Formats: sequence, C-alpha cells, structure tokens
Amino acid sequence: MMRRTWVIKAILVVSFLALTILGGLGLYEQRRFDIPIVAGPGVTKVVKLSDYSQGLKGTIADTLVFILEGKEAGGKALIMANTHANEPEGMLAALIMIENAVVDRGTLIIIPQFNHSASRNTKPGDGYPLYFEIETEWGKKTFRMGNRDASPLDQWPDPDVYIHYPEKQLLSFIDARNTNRTWPGRPNGLLMERVTFAAMEIMRREKVDIAVDIHGAETMFPVTNCIVAPEKSLRIATMAALTVKAKEGFDSHVEPSPVGFRGLSHREIGDHAETLPFLLEAPIPFLDQPTGPKTEKFLLDGKDPFLLSLARKKKLFVPYDESGWPVEKRVGQHCSLTMEILRQHAKRVPDRAVEVRGVPRYADIVKNGVGSYFHDPAKAERSKIYLN
Amino acid sequence: MKRFNTAVILMAFFFLFVFFAGSAQAAVPKAKLPVLTTSAGQSNDVTTVNIVLEEAGIGYDYCDVPDVDILKAGVGLADKESGPGFHAEVYTDLAKFPKGTAYKTIIFAIGASLKGMGASGLTVDTEEARLKRTIDYCKQNKVYIIAIHVGGTALRGAPGSDNERMIDAVAPLADYLIVTKESNKDGRFTKIAKAKNTPLTEVDYALDLVEIMKKVFE
Repeated sequence: MMRRTWVIKAILVVSFLALTILGGLGLYEQRRFDIPIVAGPGVTKVVKLSDYSQGLKGTIADTLVFILEGKEAGGKALIMANTHANEPEGMLAALIMIENAVVDRGTLIIIPQFNHSASRNTKPGDGYPLYFEIETEWGKKTFRMGNRDASPLDQWPDPDVYIHYPEKQLLSFIDARNTNRTWPGRPNGLLMERVTFAAMEIMRREKVDIAVDIHGAETMFPVTNCIVAPEKSLRIATMAALTVKAKEGFDSHVEPSPVGFRGLSHREIGDHAETLPFLLEAPIPFLDQPTGPKTEKFLLDGKDPFLLSLARKKKLFVPYDESGWPVEKRVGQHCSLTMEILRQHAKRVPDRAVEVRGVPRYADIVKNGVGSYFHDPAKAERSKIYLN
Repeated sequence: MKRFNTAVILMAFFFLFVFFAGSAQAAVPKAKLPVLTTSAGQSNDVTTVNIVLEEAGIGYDYCDVPDVDILKAGVGLADKESGPGFHAEVYTDLAKFPKGTAYKTIIFAIGASLKGMGASGLTVDTEEARLKRTIDYCKQNKVYIIAIHVGGTALRGAPGSDNERMIDAVAPLADYLIVTKESNKDGRFTKIAKAKNTPLTEVDYALDLVEIMKKVFE
C-alpha cells in the first residue's frame, strides 16, 4: 500500500515536470527568439534606448532605436511601435520604414519594439500564437507575437493598485506593466516607467517635433480606426484624417485625448515636452473577445464569423464584412497616416519639416502585401542586420 | 445636310446643358464676415469645421452652446471664458471686426453626440430648444445660416433619431447647405433644399470644404 502511494506520487511529479518543461520550452524559445531587422538605405545610426536612460542598461526592456538623418537640417519625428506587443501592425509599419525610408530633410527616429519585454511575453489563457509569419518574395519572415503588458518575469511584483507618477491617479494593477499607462515615467521608477522616461528624454534632448505611437484596437471598442490627439495636435490630426479619406480612400477619424485620463502617450508627451503627440489605432479583430480561436491566420486576415454576425447586428464600431480586416490594410493605414502627419506638420512649420520618401502608402501595401517591403537578411550585409 | 444640322444643334444643346448644370453645382453663395461656428448636436464635427476655416485662412469665433445672449454680444463672445460644459474661442480678426461687432454669418455643424451633449449638460430636447432660440434670433437679425453635415452615415439615423432631429432643427431653416455625398446618400438634404429652395453644395469629401469656404467668404 505504502509503495503504491509512492508510485502514484512519483507519476504525478514526473507528469507535472513533463508538462512544465513541454509547455515552458516553447515560451523559453520565444523569449529568446530575435527578429532580424535589415537597416535600409536611410538608417544612419542605431543606438539603444538605454543611451537616454541609464536605468535601462542591461535589462530586457532595453531596445534598439533606429535613426534616419536627412542631408538637410529640419525637424525631428519619433515613431514608436509595439507599445502593446500584441498589436503587431505598428511594428510591421515601423520595420517597413526602417528597411525602406530615406530622409531628405530632418530626422526620423524609430523604435520598432518599444515594450521589448512585452514582445517576449504572451497572454496566458488566451491561446495566442507565439509567432506569426509574413510571406515575402524570398520566403517567410517570422516575428514574435507578444502581449499587451511587459512580462512579470521582468517587472514583479505587481502593486495592488498602480499609482500613476506624477499625477497619483489610481490605475489598475496591471497597468504598472503597460507602457501606455506609465508615461511620462521616471528615471528610477518601475522598469516600464524607465522605458517611457527614456523616450521622454529622446523627445526633450533631441527636440522632437512629432511623436507617433502606433497601435491596434478592437472593432468593438469605440476608440478604433482613429488618430487620438490632444488639443495641440488636433489640427494636424484632423487635416491628416481628412486628407487620407479624400486622397487614399480610407477612414480614420480623430478622437480628442481625454485630459483626465493619465499615463497615456497622447496625453503625457504633450504635457511634458514640446512634442506634438499622435496615437494611431487601426482595427485588429484578433483582440476582440467574442471570436473564434486566436490563430495566426485570424491575426493576419482578421476574418471571424462571430464578429461578422455582430457586425450585422451593428455592434461593431467599424465596417466589417467577409473580407475581415487584413494586416495589409492595417499596416497600410499606419504608413499612410504617419507620412501624412509629417506632411501636414511640414506645411505648418516648413523650417522644422521632416521629409521622407520610399515609404509605401496604403494602396501599395494592400496591393503588394506587407512582405514585399522586407529585405532578405541572408542577402544583406552583416553590418546592416540588427537583432531585436 | 439637314441631318447634320440637327446633330449640331443637339450637340450644342447638350454642351449648354452640361455647362449650366456644372455651373449650378459650382455656384457657391457668398456670405459675410464675421462668422460664428457652433454645433447642432455637439458632435466633434464642429472641430472639423473650425480646422477647415483655419486651413482656408478665415478667422472665426467658436462657441459650442451659444444662446441668444452670446449672439447679441457679437464678436468676442462677451469675453466669456471656457469652463465645464462651455467652450468659447475667439479667432476673428479683431482689427477688422472689433469686439461687439454683430455676426453676419453662423455655421452649424450638424451631428448628434450624446457624450457631447451630456458634457454640456444638454439633452436632445434642450439642444433642440436652444437651436430654435438661436435660429429665431438669426432669422430676425438677418444672420446668414450655413448648415454643414460631413459626418456621413455615422451621423445619420432612422427618422426621429437624435441625428435626424438635429437635421430637422437646422437644415430646413438654413440659407445654405453643404453636405458630403455620404451624408446625403438617401437624398434627404436634396429634398430639404428643393422644398425650401435652399442652395445645396454636395462635396465628395470633408476636405473639399476648404475650397468651398474660401469661395463663400472671398
């Protein structure tokens, strides 16, 4: 009897270890998987975010910052993507810019994986794919699929309530790991506060004129398919939205940034620097809750029968039909809107213009696919390849 | 020869028809400054109208919920300051139109937002009543009324819905209607314009308002 109990206990322990190792191995590998980024013809410098905030040195939150300087002096623009690493269209748009943009005037600063810890995390319980692949002319390019928040492995323990710095507004505990709630950050605060502080330092030290934070949002969430802008950015945002509608044929409305909701990039950047902030949202059906399985296919094509049924009942905030909301549309919108924001800013402040060429627009990306703008790392010069 | 002449005459008629039909669409009524912009229904579209005016280089005063007292006070909005539920901005060229100058034109951006009305302490009923008071004042004092609807189908609805009530409150009483094709998909504004003999300009996109506004106030 005594021996039988021991056998059962041993089987249970072995089973537990086997499940932990088998389950954990995939997560372990995803956390260590690097995405090769081919620096395009416009990249003149690559630095680390920790160069602007010592508190990030040696941490997993440190990330690459690509700088594209023009021959002529002008203004400066900062593009941030993967603030929420489960909204990958922003990162794809940022990588297209890094691999293809050439700056004629001014400077473009791009952080493609802003919440680097979150990009090496996944959402427990939701069955997210750990990777997704984009078809290119030279094969498939693999990307990590991350989570909205930084990994608890990197910032722990969570507080009972996150008290925003410096406004002291009480936010959800989980927002302590959300780099769109920890703005403007502080040099010695929580790890995610150090990330946003470093970005604020870029904007203050480099005198950045425009900051674009690229996101995706649920189709059932009212703040989707839009540009969120505070009062000081409203004119450029509105003109950009009206222009892309008239000239490129897609909708993106303007949502005013609420004054009383703290910690968001579109609020705090403008309040703590001279920079004009803009937050872009493209609809990503994958993030909605009443959907089928969260597969890689669904992430990319945005097609779901449950959302289609809800669309027929007018429960969504964007038009939705059998064509879904594919990644090409989402990435195309982000590229076009970012370039249009830069153009509108240049019209208003010509001596601080940032003039960029080589970035495909909405129609190009919808027609050619996202993958046609990525270069083959196997054929690129080694010095041009950066792993992030 | 006779057949040839008939063809020439028919072609001439055709070109004349196309020319006049085109010019009727292009004929934009003129309005005078100073102008006050406001909302009918408190949607965000009044911001679009304000930015369009800035882009067109036209100075304006803006108040989200003006009543008769504000209209009477004229340019400068009686120096009232923005606060909770009330927004006032003065961008009129005060060198040309000193404070107190009576407004010659008022622009209503039509579109209902319960969030916007709630923030201003209004309901659909009280917003309708406020619009009636301000429009009555404009009619009595010959203030030119331009009604704009650029929100598309998102700011339209079933008969009797909030958006349609805002249209009913303003559009039939306007002196000039400007709408996007998407807003006028069902021809509602065309019907109002025909019934009231009101000039109507239908634009493809809200961005086209910039050129229209330049012509209206040139």
